[in-house]
Amino acid sequence: MPVISPKDVAPPASRPPTSKLSAGLREQVRRLERAHTAQRAGRSAVPLDLPEIDALLPDGGLLAGALHEIEAGPAPSGRVAPHDGAALGFAAAILGRFTPGTILWCRQPSGVFDAPPYAPALAAWFDPARLLMVTTRREEDLFWAMEEGLRTPGIAAVLGETRAADSTAGRRLSLAAEKNGVPALLLRPQPAPPQSVCTTRWRVASAPSPKVAGIEMLGAARWQVELRRNRFGTPSCEEMPSWLLEWNDEAHHLAVVSQARPGSAGAGWRERLAG
Amino acid sequence: MRAGEKDWRARAAATVVWRDGCPRLAALNPQARTTGLSVHMRLADARALVPDLVTADGEPEADRKLIEALAGWCDRYTPWVAVDPLGSALAEEDATQVCSAGGFGGDAGLLLDVTGCGHLYGKEEAGERTLLADLVERLARHDFTCRAAMADTAGAAWALARYGEKQADLFCPRNGQRDALAPLPVDGLRLDPPILETFLKLGLRRIGDLYPLPRAPLSRRFGEQPLTRLDQMLGRVDEPIEPRRPPPAFRSRISFAEPIGRSEDIAAATSRLLAALCKQFEQASVGARKLEVALYRVDGSVDRTAIGTSRPNRDNPKLMKLFEDRLGELDPGFGVELMILSAPEVEEWTGAQDHLPETGTPAKSSWHEDGTIDLADRLAIRLGVENVTRLMPHDSHLPDRVQTNAPLATPVQAGAWARIAAMKGTRPTRLLQKPEPIDVTALLPDDPPRQFQWHRHTHRIVSVEGPERVADEWWRPRPGGRLMPANIVPPVRDYYRVEDNDGGRFWLFRDGSLNTAKWYLHGFCA
Repeated sequence: MPVISPKDVAPPASRPPTSKLSAGLREQVRRLERAHTAQRAGRSAVPLDLPEIDALLPDGGLLAGALHEIEAGPAPSGRVAPHDGAALGFAAAILGRFTPGTILWCRQPSGVFDAPPYAPALAAWFDPARLLMVTTRREEDLFWAMEEGLRTPGIAAVLGETRAADSTAGRRLSLAAEKNGVPALLLRPQPAPPQSVCTTRWRVASAPSPKVAGIEMLGAARWQVELRRNRFGTPSCEEMPSWLLEWNDEAHHLAVVSQARPGSAGAGWRERLAG
Repeated sequence: MRAGEKDWRARAAATVVWRDGCPRLAALNPQARTTGLSVHMRLADARALVPDLVTADGEPEADRKLIEALAGWCDRYTPWVAVDPLGSALAEEDATQVCSAGGFGGDAGLLLDVTGCGHLYGKEEAGERTLLADLVERLARHDFTCRAAMADTAGAAWALARYGEKQADLFCPRNGQRDALAPLPVDGLRLDPPILETFLKLGLRRIGDLYPLPRAPLSRRFGEQPLTRLDQMLGRVDEPIEPRRPPPAFRSRISFAEPIGRSEDIAAATSRLLAALCKQFEQASVGARKLEVALYRVDGSVDRTAIGTSRPNRDNPKLMKLFEDRLGELDPGFGVELMILSAPEVEEWTGAQDHLPETGTPAKSSWHEDGTIDLADRLAIRLGVENVTRLMPHDSHLPDRVQTNAPLATPVQAGAWARIAAMKGTRPTRLLQKPEPIDVTALLPDDPPRQFQWHRHTHRIVSVEGPERVADEWWRPRPGGRLMPANIVPPVRDYYRVEDNDGGRFWLFRDGSLNTAKWYLHGFCA
């Protein structure tokens, strides 16, 4: 069983202040990238309404005309989870930010254990009547359908569920998204090799819900979200910034859970689990 | 009609099939008929009459396919093409019941309703004559010997094609069938063999012999058939032709002086046909749901391809875009001499008016205004209609029935999903199509689960929410088709939302009563 644990990497809790020279270079690179992006049409960023995260993203939100990748991360124990309910929830939360219009959802059914997205749950984030579902057998059909969707006016967002990591297809999707100003999302049920040209890459794992002492009830859903790639964005003091998000199912509200030690996300519940 | 080798033409020839325990003649050429042979005759008897009879094994299936292909070829003249039911019945087992379709030529036949089609070839009667000549000539080019006759009624044309003596008789002028048919033998009436035999015994040999007979005694003696056939033939009773393929209400055609073969030419011709058809749609205030383009190749074969749209459409560029993928599949063969674009399915136009600026703001709740429907059509052409769907809500207790995939055209009520989502408890973001059996450990049979095992991995459950009891819908028929008996408690499911020690959230349920309960994993929660 592959054991991937991002937490094995020691969090750079207290990075020494960067030298003046490197800060200047960083700023220069950013300005070059900005100049590059400004030429592209249909650039607009949609904020996630999570101030902590939006602060790091370019233009204060998710770029609309860009490719974003969301992958299901391993569980806290390091085991690769056989499901991606949390990653799908996070993807749906992002999709819900892009209104109005049709959402094109492309997927490859995975045989016997096929578990398609379930609309009564998705209704928390957006109206499932907006969904146009496409199932394909081959991955090239899936990428083709996504590209067609990106080119169509009236499409709010395009999501593709796939295990395939095709860098050419990723580049094409990214270009089509940039050209039309429509976001393309890739939802991966398992961590994929980092090779695609996405603007942001997120790793989402489900985290234990908050416990109330003495009651064995299930609390609000919590996700450990890690921003593994943030092109054009504000550099963070960490290598890979990470947050614990909480989804309130009653209030339909997503919020960042402030942790005892910001920067070493998840340390709190790891200790609790160990103990 | 029969394509054959050259030496068959000069000598008596027949095909032979095994029927009623001995080989019998199935089809004859004109020479064989003049020597007194007939269909259904035993091969032994035939050989006694004509010792040098050329025989070949009959292939009813191949004959049927050939006549079907010819019927497809005849679509070039009219959409109303039917395979003659009497001719095709000859290939079947109880063929003795059918009248002996004798006379000249073979047995299989095609009926074409060319009403209003002659104008493509000339004015009024001249056009119809040219059409007939064109048909015979083109078939002869493909090495078919055929006899074609044209008359006001199908019955008259049938009789003329088989029993007309002179070439000039084969075209029956308007309202001339009474005189034209009088000298023909009664065989031309399409009667059952017993009636035909009695007629011959009574000395009624010509169709004209029946004209002066009083109708009442005739029907009393022979039943309805002779009178019905006579009336159909003379046009007193309508005899509709049942077309092989439902005739499209809208079609446009283009014929080429020089056969074309390049795919660009075919695309250009399709685009021209489409423009003509869209104009027809506009006049009739309809839109196409299905379009079919047919290539008539020089070798007499036909290749077709079709596109479907999810709403009535008459937007020329959009339809052309749908065709673009399909045209590549068409094989022009040695060249295409004729193309026909038809709309087998049309619906009343519901879209916006053409060439008029938007006035007011109609309800834009549907997908029709943006590009979604067009996108869906494009995707459906490549991926199949069943793979491009939208999610349809159902008022149901059973979680697997709440969500179904529906075709695009089905409207989803605004807010229907939100209402359903608000009614139920927290639902998983993914639902397994088939619940997975799992091993569950619980303290007591009706206690919430403590741990479960799935895919050889043990999940220790930390917290539980539930149960949520879902009863089976007793009012729905079982898979066997029967309703559930009233005295049996319907099976219930107890759903639990659980979280394991790894932070994963699952949706489990216990099925059945407590003693025989089985546990299943049904979904993955956010």
